[in-house]
Amino acid sequence: MSAPAVAIAVSGLGKRYRLQHQGQTTLKTAALRLLSRGSKRDEEFWALRAVSFEVRQGETLGIIGRNGAGKSTLLGLIAGTITPTEGAVRTNGRISSLLELGAGFHPDLTGRENIFLNGSILGLRRRDIAQRFDSIVAFSDLERFIDHPVKHYSSGMFVRLAFSVAMEVDPDILILDEVLSVGDERFREKCRVRIGEFRRRGKTFLIVSHDMDTIQTICDRVLVLDRGQTVLEDVPTRAVSEYHAINALGESPGEGPARREWGSREAVILGVSLRDARGDRVDILGAREGFTAEVRWRATRRIEDPVFGFALCDGEGRLLYGTNTAIDGCTIPAIEGDGAIELAVETIPFQRGRYYLTFAIHSRDHKTFHRLDNCSAVTVTPDGEHAGTVRLEARWKTPG
Amino acid sequence: MTQRQSLLAELIARRELVLNFVLRNLKQRYKGSALGFLWSLLHPLFLVLIYLIFIRLMRFPTSMPHLLVGVMVWQFLSLCAGDAATVVLANASLVKKTWFPRIILPLSAVLGNLVHFVLSLLVLAVALPLLGVSPRSTWLHLPWLIALQFLFSLGISLGLSALNVFFRDVEHLVPIALMSWFFVTPVIYSAELVLNNPTFPPWVDTVFFANPMTALLMWYRHAFLGDPLPAAALWPGFLGVFVVFSLGALLFHRLEPRFADEL
Repeated sequence: MSAPAVAIAVSGLGKRYRLQHQGQTTLKTAALRLLSRGSKRDEEFWALRAVSFEVRQGETLGIIGRNGAGKSTLLGLIAGTITPTEGAVRTNGRISSLLELGAGFHPDLTGRENIFLNGSILGLRRRDIAQRFDSIVAFSDLERFIDHPVKHYSSGMFVRLAFSVAMEVDPDILILDEVLSVGDERFREKCRVRIGEFRRRGKTFLIVSHDMDTIQTICDRVLVLDRGQTVLEDVPTRAVSEYHAINALGESPGEGPARREWGSREAVILGVSLRDARGDRVDILGAREGFTAEVRWRATRRIEDPVFGFALCDGEGRLLYGTNTAIDGCTIPAIEGDGAIELAVETIPFQRGRYYLTFAIHSRDHKTFHRLDNCSAVTVTPDGEHAGTVRLEARWKTPG
Repeated sequence: MTQRQSLLAELIARRELVLNFVLRNLKQRYKGSALGFLWSLLHPLFLVLIYLIFIRLMRFPTSMPHLLVGVMVWQFLSLCAGDAATVVLANASLVKKTWFPRIILPLSAVLGNLVHFVLSLLVLAVALPLLGVSPRSTWLHLPWLIALQFLFSLGISLGLSALNVFFRDVEHLVPIALMSWFFVTPVIYSAELVLNNPTFPPWVDTVFFANPMTALLMWYRHAFLGDPLPAAALWPGFLGVFVVFSLGALLFHRLEPRFADEL
């Protein structure tokens, strides 16, 4: 059997935006810009650059990445709402894109009128919509309200209606941007069942989501984007752990205590990954859980008797804990070339909050080779209703 | 791999979307008003009354039928130009989040106004015999005339709607430009005032008749009322209809790919 046909082919795709320093273009600013041609006052910014991939018919591709990674730009380019600066998108089959729930809904029109309007925006004929009208309404559970203007709908009702229309369009390719996390649990379950049916019928899906469970459950492959570039295209488990790693290592600037880096750089820390007990990369821990930090290093010359240091700070930059290999009696005779050292933290004594990790390599007399202040972070989530930051192993006992 | 269809084929395939947009515009306009569609007739009628009083005061030579035709025809253009500036902006979320031929936005706005215009012409056809103007065979010119004016209004709408995405000044300039345009077009006065007027230098005639709205209006009055049609003087105006349409379409086509970036 031959491989299924290509449904979406993206090659060398790039989108550049110009960041204007002051609000709207008016005739005045346009005229000024014409006069001062040559001096480039606008900053340029590539939201997406050199992205290439293919999706075959019947495949479900997930796209994940941090905020600002270029996910929505990529979907917009594929859906055709945004025009690429370079590269090209080729698609095969009818596309229905749900980049925003309820785009095109008019508040003054009734649910019924909006179904027809929205259906025709998504490319359906009136006859087809009329045929599917009952199942759209049934799916959305809005029978009682369908002839009321949607401005009186609750936000939950609104998204249910929008989603129901999009699911009934029956396209060849369905593009969903962060819309699976809508409605209550019952409605989400209905959506998952419906998407499962679609996939069995050989429809192609493109999904952006921050919900890693959804991504792991329904995607065949996942594309990890960061700062507008493809980081990885792989099976969901590996892609999701890469996503967690990006989140852990690359804090967005301005958040938490300052990240700093200094030293003579005769030996450098190449990277730090945090893993949980199962060996998966993590940046979120439950209270009382532990983690292992793997510190990868490179020494450009042979260094005798080096010391590796570790410190943990809270969001205000207060030092909560500090140690190094010398204090803990772990002697390293010498390092040279590339290598790694692991630090196992058995249980983290906090029950909530975000904590920042500092790693360093220095000599026994505190000459710093390389030090990375607050280079990664872990978030600890509570496992109970206890108040406060730290977690004490405290037990109540009733006398007698 | 499929290529994107030609625009015309796409518009035909998407005719129901055009229809839905037109219906939405019409419903939106009259939602909550007691008189509803009647307003699109009452509005020009009130204008006619106001002009009539003004013209009597100024002692311009004109008549009620001339005024009615002028105001109805002008109303079509003025509504289209008024809607044009905001038609893309008002649908920003649609443009950013869904794909369809963008031309559908100005097209459906103009079509909505065309519906009003045709209805008001029907009312005019009933009213004119009451004012002593009997139907004549030149009324059969009307479909051609309406088509020409539709093309012209669409060109204006395409150009203005695209420009206003990039320069929001356009929507402020439109009412001023329309007002000036109104006074150099023989809407409330007769073209005879300018035509062959010895107090004006001859180039004034040339400029005056290069205005497509003047050309259209004189033909409407010829068709409805049997006024003389100085075809020789009017051809630049008719040519202007096509020039304006082409420029508007070109501008829209050029700027359309960048709409989503600017909104």
